[in-house]
Amino acid sequence: MDRNQLAKWLKAPAKMGHKYSLHAVYFCTGCGIIEVPPVITARWDAERFGVIPVATPRQANLFLITGYVSVKTLKAIIRTYEQMPEPKFTVGFGSCPINGGMYWDSYNTIKHLDKYIPVDGWIAGCMPRPEAIFVAVTHLWTLIDKGMADGYKRYRENYKYYRANQEQLYGTLEWPPLFPIEDKNE
Amino acid sequence: MVMGVVEYILSPLLALIIGIFFLGLSRKIMARIHWRYGPPLTQPIIDIIKLFSQKSGSHGSLFNLGIILSLAGSIVVVLFMPFGQMCPLSSSGGLLVILYMMLLGPLGIALSGGEGANPNISIGISRKLILALGYEVPLLLILLAVMTHYETISIVEVVKKQQHAGWSFISLPLLLPGIAYFLILPAILGLRPFEVVQAPQEIASGPMVEYGGKFLAFATIQHAFSLFIGIALFVNLFLGGASNPVTFFIKMLVVFILGLFINAAFPRFRIEQAVKYLWRWPTLLAFVGLIVVLIIRR
Repeated sequence: MDRNQLAKWLKAPAKMGHKYSLHAVYFCTGCGIIEVPPVITARWDAERFGVIPVATPRQANLFLITGYVSVKTLKAIIRTYEQMPEPKFTVGFGSCPINGGMYWDSYNTIKHLDKYIPVDGWIAGCMPRPEAIFVAVTHLWTLIDKGMADGYKRYRENYKYYRANQEQLYGTLEWPPLFPIEDKNE
Repeated sequence: MVMGVVEYILSPLLALIIGIFFLGLSRKIMARIHWRYGPPLTQPIIDIIKLFSQKSGSHGSLFNLGIILSLAGSIVVVLFMPFGQMCPLSSSGGLLVILYMMLLGPLGIALSGGEGANPNISIGISRKLILALGYEVPLLLILLAVMTHYETISIVEVVKKQQHAGWSFISLPLLLPGIAYFLILPAILGLRPFEVVQAPQEIASGPMVEYGGKFLAFATIQHAFSLFIGIALFVNLFLGGASNPVTFFIKMLVVFILGLFINAAFPRFRIEQAVKYLWRWPTLLAFVGLIVVLIIRR
């Protein structure tokens, strides 16, 4: 880990801050959460990467979707994601958020997470090893450096698409839109 | 005159640097105790830079003003606190002012959090104020013992008299109040046996629940100041202050690392256990110490 990047720090302190201080919201969506306690405790020690779990979405900027996403959990995921301050990064953990994984024909889980919230990166595998989280974090650093981790911007720009998908799943949503939905055609 | 102005700026700045250094050191030392590598020492600075660059939602004007009140209160207490020979305001105030102003920190956070209207915040605030009630009783008795022994309310005078007569922590009459202050020090600093206010596992970091972005950055800075204040008061009252900032810093470091070991070894009290403990042992020690001081003065 190269921490002696003074020139980069002086040039863009905010970007470097976002890179090296990823606070993950500690939210158990599925079975993948079992890999997270070893990662944040003494065995693998995520804190040396600046990754620590925080208790509330307001303080977090990294969202790990760990494992399958049931329809009921997705509602909580969307609300948690919308409460996080920008810039925020989402990482899908395991094969279930990517394409349904072993729950591909389940009536009760969603198959493609990126239809409902934007995702910046994926960790494939069932289960991925804890080391895969560190690989993902270092990849996320590269993406932030190049300005490619722009899920929160995509969410704002394409909010109409995401909101339509969410409403298609739930019928009506009981919270107001996060961003104003204006029709560009009118 | 110029020296005075420089001291007004330099003293809070040094306090901030020391407080943030302590935050980083605490994370590193806790990591080493857990047999981990731990974050770099600069991690709190990185966090603060990140938090200031985030977008943050507000919950109303009191939400914004409360956190500023808390920060301002802490800065004022730092101005009253002698740091080595540097003491911008301490000649005009004394221990009583410090005692009053120390309450502004929790009070500002309570005001600010109240606007957030989150149930976890209400629980956190009630715990914070109950805990403050818990440690204010022994703290009052301790300060009373110190003031009676040295016949002054000025903290500068206390430091001066200790430099002639030796540390009050190792002199007989003030030994018991000194031990009592060390026992309530984790409660003042919010370290682990008394970490009931934040308690991330129970009430999702308590009053901080709705803080994101700049608010959390200000709360972190306020926490850094409160670390400085709690330890500096102990060093000034019982470890003889210091004639230069470097010695003062080393004394603070020793006290803080001892506190960290307590933090690493103990689990969390429940709030009523915390108050029961605070009102039993430290209060008893401080009370006996006060009586000893009175008897010796006779």
